[in-house]
Amino acid sequence: MKLLTHNLLSSHVRGVGPRGFPLRLQATEVRVNPVEFNPDFVARMIPKVEWAALLEAADTLNLAEVPREPTEGYEHDEDFLRKMHHVLLEVEVLEGTLQCPESGRLFPISRGIPNMLLNDEETET
Amino acid sequence: MTQGEFPCRDKRRGIWQATHWHIKLLLRAVSRTLSDLHASGQPAFSRMDPEAARLEKQRVHDVYESTAPYFRDLQSKAWPRVCQFLQDQKPGSLIADIGCGTGKYLKVNSQVHILGCDYCGPLVEIARNRGCEVMVCDNLNLPFRDQGFDAIISIGVIHHFSTKQRRIRAIKEMARVLVPGGQLMIYVWAMEQKNRRFEKQDVLVPWNRALCSQLFSEHSPSGRKRQCGRPETSHPCHAPCSEWSCSICFKERWDSKRSHSLDSEPVMTTTCCGSILKEGEGENRFYNTLGKSFRSWFFSRSLDESTLRKQIEKVRPLRTTESWANNTVSVQPSRHQDFDHQEPFSTKEPNEDEEVFLETSQKHLEWLRAPGTSKHFRGDQEVNRRNGGEIFLPPTNTGENCADADDLKNGYPSGGEILRGISAVSATDSNPGDTISVDKQQPSILDSGAFMRYYHVFREGELCGLLQENVSELHILSSGNDHGNWCIVAEKKEKL
Repeated sequence: MKLLTHNLLSSHVRGVGPRGFPLRLQATEVRVNPVEFNPDFVARMIPKVEWAALLEAADTLNLAEVPREPTEGYEHDEDFLRKMHHVLLEVEVLEGTLQCPESGRLFPISRGIPNMLLNDEETET
Repeated sequence: MTQGEFPCRDKRRGIWQATHWHIKLLLRAVSRTLSDLHASGQPAFSRMDPEAARLEKQRVHDVYESTAPYFRDLQSKAWPRVCQFLQDQKPGSLIADIGCGTGKYLKVNSQVHILGCDYCGPLVEIARNRGCEVMVCDNLNLPFRDQGFDAIISIGVIHHFSTKQRRIRAIKEMARVLVPGGQLMIYVWAMEQKNRRFEKQDVLVPWNRALCSQLFSEHSPSGRKRQCGRPETSHPCHAPCSEWSCSICFKERWDSKRSHSLDSEPVMTTTCCGSILKEGEGENRFYNTLGKSFRSWFFSRSLDESTLRKQIEKVRPLRTTESWANNTVSVQPSRHQDFDHQEPFSTKEPNEDEEVFLETSQKHLEWLRAPGTSKHFRGDQEVNRRNGGEIFLPPTNTGENCADADDLKNGYPSGGEILRGISAVSATDSNPGDTISVDKQQPSILDSGAFMRYYHVFREGELCGLLQENVSELHILSSGNDHGNWCIVAEKKEKL
């Protein structure tokens, strides 16, 4: 699971609503998977990212410091873009958990695949 | 309305005809509304839901999970229009493929970030092993924050939901996670196919891996055509072609008239069926067997509240074959006739059992049937029982189906094997029919009774209607028919 993916995920346990985001990440196995750097691609991704959630996740994984927010003119800041490229696309959580911040429910990540299925009792009707 | 020489009389007749037509339309609309309400009113929905979920578990999820291992080596076909939709998205877009299966669309466009999601863990694993970013989740409860995605595709997914409310829910969930202005593409299997038509909308479709492996072990990617239809291969049931429309090797042409916004595309002429039809030798026997295969379609009743429970019971133990004995083959009416006379699929409860074989009696399909083949399959029911609940028809009994018996003697697999040789003809999902090559060393033929997939096939206009009436946050941009699928592209409305 990449951090860009984590940035989109939210708990859908019944009653949780928007308080299900972001999921608290815990990783027991992480891998770095090189991905071809495409500055335009990364630049377009930046506005779509929920920055606070990204900071939190990157911090959990002890990644190199991510700026508190996109720097002005980031579209042309190659260092910034490369850093974000690495954080968003190259770091993969292979084993770990995602925790709903509201209900505490844990979702497993195994072999890089998060499993977000809920039991019937837990889902929204 | 006749144009006559007596304007007054014709005018009156015309008015009467028009009135009659409108009354008919009104009655039909009312009855449909009633049936829909009955099927999907609030109280009914909540009562139905656990049963709907159970049916989907048995006849969708469990099947995909059990058959997933066989998809490992498969090259699934990606629909060109879906690929085009993905390629049309702006670079840097965030896209979700809800119901991605083994991930055939996940690498179509390297300029976008696409996340594959599926309910079926094993299928997702296969996609993962191909290097895709994937996850396991439920379309009915998407684990995403609102408005995260620039585009979403749902290809061959919605038709697996067994109630209207669940289908609506699935669409609404996808709309929720779309950004305003973002686009959603949906493909569902069409009830109306070119040369045949499902008699009912809620169906169980058999799938047989063993047939796929047998059939496709003969084929190389370039050699597909050559192997088609050769009697000596002893695989008379033709493999489903990669085009769904050719899945049981009817030569089907995409009807360009039916498409509203999608351009005409020639049906793949390199499909197996195309070459088969050119072959004269062995053709009759091949098509006879196809006819048997075709007759083995198993149709369930449509699932409304009053019949859903019963359907669950029927679906689970396919060994109950007593019900088959009373089945008669129903002649398939023409398409237009069916629309006119179609009953609302809900409140009416026939006395006989639900399962009905479909007989293709249309003229252009006559050649499928062996001479002397009986229309009625009563005699076959005993063999069904012997086979322990196989739902497929053995080719022969007594005086009936003599030609079929001869076919058997000519080196075709035994009746049981022929029967099992019905592949899933799924419109859009990862499909054994898309295989190019499969390991020949497969274990013995599986009990295909266990691999029945549930589909709600859509009538023309149904998908559009579903969105228009229930998902006001989406605006339909285009719709049409693509290779036997109804498809739609819709856009999330901007917030006011």
